[in-house]
Amino acid sequence: MSIEITMPRLSDTMERGMIIKWNVKEGDAVSAGDSVADIETDKAIMEMQVFDDGHMARIVVPAGETVEVGTLIAVLAEDDEAVEDVAGAVSASMPPASAPAPTPAPAPVAGDGRIKASPVARRLAEEHGINLAGLQGSGPGGRIVKRDVQRAVETGQETVAAVPPSAQPSGTPVTPTPVTASPAPPVTSGLTTAIETIGGLKPGSVPLSNIRQMTARRLVEAKSTIPHYQVTVTFDMDALLGLRSTLNEQLTDQGIKLSLNDFLVRGCALAIHDHPEFNASWGGDHLEIHADVNIGLAIALPPERGGGLVVATIRQADRKSLRTISQDSKHLAEKARTRGLTIEEMADSTFTISNLGMFGVDHFTAIINPPNSAILAVGAALQKPVVRDGELTVGWEMSATLSLDHRIIDGASAARYLATLKQMIENPATLLV
Amino acid sequence: MTRTIEFRDALREAMSEEMRRDTRVFLMGEEVAEYQGAYKVSRGMLEEFGPQRVIDTPISETGFAGLGIGAAMSGLRPIIEFMSWSFSLVAADQILNNAPKMLYMSGGQFPTPIVFRGNNGAGGQLGSTHSWCVESLYSNVPGLKMVIPFDAYDAKGLLKTAIRDDNPVFFLESERLLGVKGEVPEDEYLIPFGEATTRRQGGDCSIVSFGRPLYFCLEAAGVLADEGIECDVIDCRTIRPLDIDSIAESVRRTNYCVVVDQSWPFASVGAEVAAQVGEVCFDDLDNHVVRVHSDNVPAPYAYNLEQEMLPNARKIVEAVRAVTYNA
Repeated sequence: MSIEITMPRLSDTMERGMIIKWNVKEGDAVSAGDSVADIETDKAIMEMQVFDDGHMARIVVPAGETVEVGTLIAVLAEDDEAVEDVAGAVSASMPPASAPAPTPAPAPVAGDGRIKASPVARRLAEEHGINLAGLQGSGPGGRIVKRDVQRAVETGQETVAAVPPSAQPSGTPVTPTPVTASPAPPVTSGLTTAIETIGGLKPGSVPLSNIRQMTARRLVEAKSTIPHYQVTVTFDMDALLGLRSTLNEQLTDQGIKLSLNDFLVRGCALAIHDHPEFNASWGGDHLEIHADVNIGLAIALPPERGGGLVVATIRQADRKSLRTISQDSKHLAEKARTRGLTIEEMADSTFTISNLGMFGVDHFTAIINPPNSAILAVGAALQKPVVRDGELTVGWEMSATLSLDHRIIDGASAARYLATLKQMIENPATLLV
Repeated sequence: MTRTIEFRDALREAMSEEMRRDTRVFLMGEEVAEYQGAYKVSRGMLEEFGPQRVIDTPISETGFAGLGIGAAMSGLRPIIEFMSWSFSLVAADQILNNAPKMLYMSGGQFPTPIVFRGNNGAGGQLGSTHSWCVESLYSNVPGLKMVIPFDAYDAKGLLKTAIRDDNPVFFLESERLLGVKGEVPEDEYLIPFGEATTRRQGGDCSIVSFGRPLYFCLEAAGVLADEGIECDVIDCRTIRPLDIDSIAESVRRTNYCVVVDQSWPFASVGAEVAAQVGEVCFDDLDNHVVRVHSDNVPAPYAYNLEQEMLPNARKIVEAVRAVTYNA
């Protein structure tokens, strides 16, 4: 029996996905667990695995195309059947690959992107060839239950294209197969090529990755709906830089190198304890206060990953030592730039830090990352003429600008938070305990 | 030919028939002889079998339970009556720590063919310490069997099987059911352990229970039928061994399961049934298994509070509606 592979729903908000590349060709043998394609969702690039052994009979949707979730993208031939037969049957029965598939009704999905359905609903759906992604669940939290599938059966809502008998040489019905996803290894998307070929400022059009499109939508929404304002503070960095170099000397052997940002993550997280509104989200008629202090780190993606920006989450940063924060942030940044982050690694931040200090930027402002209430834009630590004890001297200073949601935090609260943070940064021993 | 007799008479018939059949069988407990049984279960037995085989004991559960276990190890087949299973708690070392383990610890030398029987569960305003449901607490122990009969027919057939069994059998009756009449054949019959039975048939939801709560289940099933929800009411009959196959057969048809167990919810028989159903019927369930238990408090004395604490018909109706997404 041939096995149908459809565009999987890989995140809770995914409606369509782009096939970045196929890792197999038609006719290739595949084994269960093989990654057959890299798929870009609105959030990340994931690899798509197959659950069955067989041969790739037909690639229906070529690389570079974007299709709706649930759309047939490929068909496998099982080991005991001829690839040509299956491919022929598919060709005869399928509409042209470019024709858009009917859009299924939004299916209930759990936070991790799974469709919520009871076990018996799943079994019945499989028996009747019903695609759960097309059903509306009537159970708690939108769970698809038995009666939802039964209703679909009664109304003839069989969403899997059966091969017409006349076009079916070996009497093989087509059934859908489950696919799993995991973060994909580095891929070269068509985008890189596009940018290279433009060269020397010639006019042209660059297709945007899903991640960049999603980022763009969110930024517009954040900037146009949140009443932003900014408060800037300058830190005296002499003590922290001194402490950092002492610590790093002692930690060299252990392979630890603390960055200024690691101290900032810890400082921002600890300061939130005294200012819980900084760990809140706007809820319309109430404030949602979060229990965990999760610090988001804005990470720029390299051009070969389509550019753009992601926010990695350091969970419970208030409970982590500098050493752990350093390891976490290095790991997440490296992974974001090479293999890509999982949805889990990007979810649930409550406060975000964006640091352009490494580019020598003195000072900038950032756009709030919803549903956060604030974002801290951090510049470089620079040597400056400073006045200490009435004397003009040379000292290290660093500016940081907080962008805030005025609905949640007013100016005086922002100033008080920055005073707490400034106290910690300028007396950094407190960050060690 | 059948007759209509009380639950307590069925128990007595089972004991008397087995004592006539096998001279190793004897009955021992508080008030079983001269007083004819605290609940008149053993009425007439002293007269028929004499004081050697129908034996009154002091109020010392540890003593007579231990005596019985020793007798069983020595080749006799005692029936030990606890006036209430609540009183068996003082004999826990004998009945839990010795009887069920003796065969194992003696390397197979000492089978312990003994039946412990008596009233279990709320008798009606007996207060916290005398209203024990021991099924969950005791069925945790390997090496014992546990029987909870529903009516006179089952009481007789299951008790006869218990007396012939070579293992310790915990036989849990209910004070509230002793006077309930039922049809019982004249001829001898035995009911094997580990075979559940269906008390009412329906295809929309499986209700699994045992003992007295089954009456509440049947009441609830009647109410639900008027709403168009037809329930399968499964009587486990024996908790150890548990007939999970029959339960699973029902759940595979209905896709929903409510377990009703009059003991407390935590680490209970109800929890065990729910876990096993989840294991063997995973792909057949349209919702998680819902359990109805006594509330997680000591039994109250006040009548209204006790009724509210027990797994009553209203709670079962609500559970079935909820599990079938009809709430």
